[in-house]
Amino acid sequence: MIEVVEGGLLTTVQDAGRPDWTHLGVPIGGACDRWSLAVANMLVGNEPGAAAVEMTIAGPVLALRSRMVVGLAGADLDCVVAPRGRRLEPGRSHRLEPGWTISFPGSSGPTDGDPPGARAYLAVPGGFDVPPVLGSRSTALAGAFGGLEGRFLRAGDLLGPADPASPAIGPRVWPALDGDPFRVDPVSPIRVLRGPADGIEALLAGSWRVAAESDRVGLRLEGATLDGTPNAIPGDGGGGAGEGRMASHGVVFGAVQVPADGRPIVLLADHQTTGGYPVPAVVASVDRPRLGQLRPGSRVSFVEIGEAEAVAALAAQRAALERGAALLREAAGWDALWESAGG
Amino acid sequence: MSDEPARIEAFGDAAVLVTLGGTPDTGPHRRARALAGAVEARRAGGVRVGRAVAAQTGVLVPFDPLELDPRDARALVADLLAAIEEGAEAGAEHPAADPVRLHEIPVRYGGEDGPDLEATADLLGLTPRELVEVHAGSTYEVLFLGFAPGFGYLGPLPEALEAPRLETPRPRVAAGSVAIAGRQTAVYPFALPGGWRLIGRTDTQVWDVRLDPPALFAPGDRVRFTPIE
Repeated sequence: MIEVVEGGLLTTVQDAGRPDWTHLGVPIGGACDRWSLAVANMLVGNEPGAAAVEMTIAGPVLALRSRMVVGLAGADLDCVVAPRGRRLEPGRSHRLEPGWTISFPGSSGPTDGDPPGARAYLAVPGGFDVPPVLGSRSTALAGAFGGLEGRFLRAGDLLGPADPASPAIGPRVWPALDGDPFRVDPVSPIRVLRGPADGIEALLAGSWRVAAESDRVGLRLEGATLDGTPNAIPGDGGGGAGEGRMASHGVVFGAVQVPADGRPIVLLADHQTTGGYPVPAVVASVDRPRLGQLRPGSRVSFVEIGEAEAVAALAAQRAALERGAALLREAAGWDALWESAGG
Repeated sequence: MSDEPARIEAFGDAAVLVTLGGTPDTGPHRRARALAGAVEARRAGGVRVGRAVAAQTGVLVPFDPLELDPRDARALVADLLAAIEEGAEAGAEHPAADPVRLHEIPVRYGGEDGPDLEATADLLGLTPRELVEVHAGSTYEVLFLGFAPGFGYLGPLPEALEAPRLETPRPRVAAGSVAIAGRQTAVYPFALPGGWRLIGRTDTQVWDVRLDPPALFAPGDRVRFTPIE
């Protein structure tokens, strides 16, 4: 078991979400960075969408009550083990002993450059053992269900792996692969497709920064032009995302909504099922994981691509994930051989 | 027939958005619902599309572009829509598969339960009693669900009750609050921030995640409010 000593800023159980209840107004939810969720899970032999702990910017402090192998992926939140003082890097699995405490204080990273990623994922064999609700173990903060009692993790919570008796997994390292969404310059533009509303030109021309009011529902962007003038996209003052405005049609993770104040909102995993703001652009599926790693202060710019290019890039990313999974399985095969030989 | 032709377009690389013409009174939400139902039937038949989201003016159909070519997804949706429009033109009634469900919602109007009742009645040139009579005198259709789990947009609200949403939304609206805004009315499924005008409150739970289905209202259901004396 793992005991939560401190909950951190915004720590929840998340999996691949619940896509089958949108007709009842239920957000799809799930991890904001599905790539890193998949990597953390694969490092401990899970399915890519198993339930893991998602932590944000300043993560939790966790005390180990039993021996456990964990997979860590996503942002480097400076995870450190007490009492040993060793750093645990993302993109690897780590064996932890009872009595150890791991903490994720948040990156002390470069202060001059762009801030580091926002979200880290911690996976355990079999996924975290919380009951599925509406077909998913994701925490639905709107409605307060799923995950651990539908809420953030807090001090005193206990979480265990669904598969505590999993065979000892040797240390695993996620390979460096072409197609990995994070093997790019973090300030390279986010790829978007033209949306149904006008206004993509202003989005593409602008230089943006993620505003403080961002959360799992969406990233709020504010203008950050070189000459200091605030930039914004002319909004039409039409319907909005609230319950009172006309939520006129369904929306998706990555839709760029422009409310009346002209400051774009890029929807993330917990977005409402419907929205009424104009949508001049939609982020290509291939760049959704990068959206999940943007944090307040991150600089963002956008570049338009076509549909064929977007699908080809997504195919390359999916292939990279499968290649990584195959390499991990190969490593596991060698471990098994080694053990059976009495090594 | 609708006033404007429907528009079928890409919504990113993994969804098709269908925008249906017409005004809320001519019922694009009904055709939206029929289209979502048709997509759902195809999905049950093995076509690799996601759960369609029907709303006021359109339908969003998500899909995985590595499993279904976006052009094929748009063609599929266009075919399904054409079949529905043909049926509507031929005057075919919605197939009477399921009888329409009617929900009676008992409401305590006004007072602490409906803190905006008096001010809204004033705004509309009605007495609070008249407002309640009009609100409880209509049968509403569940147009679609959105905003939050189990939140049904019910309408159309009689024109006499059409009022704008509050200038300053409340940070917290109590569960079960019965509210109006524009040409619609709703019951808050749980405590939420909200900008509609609160005219009453019900003890009927419209969302319980332990139930199957968890939402009391389904699109197409009818709802009537009855005052608790």
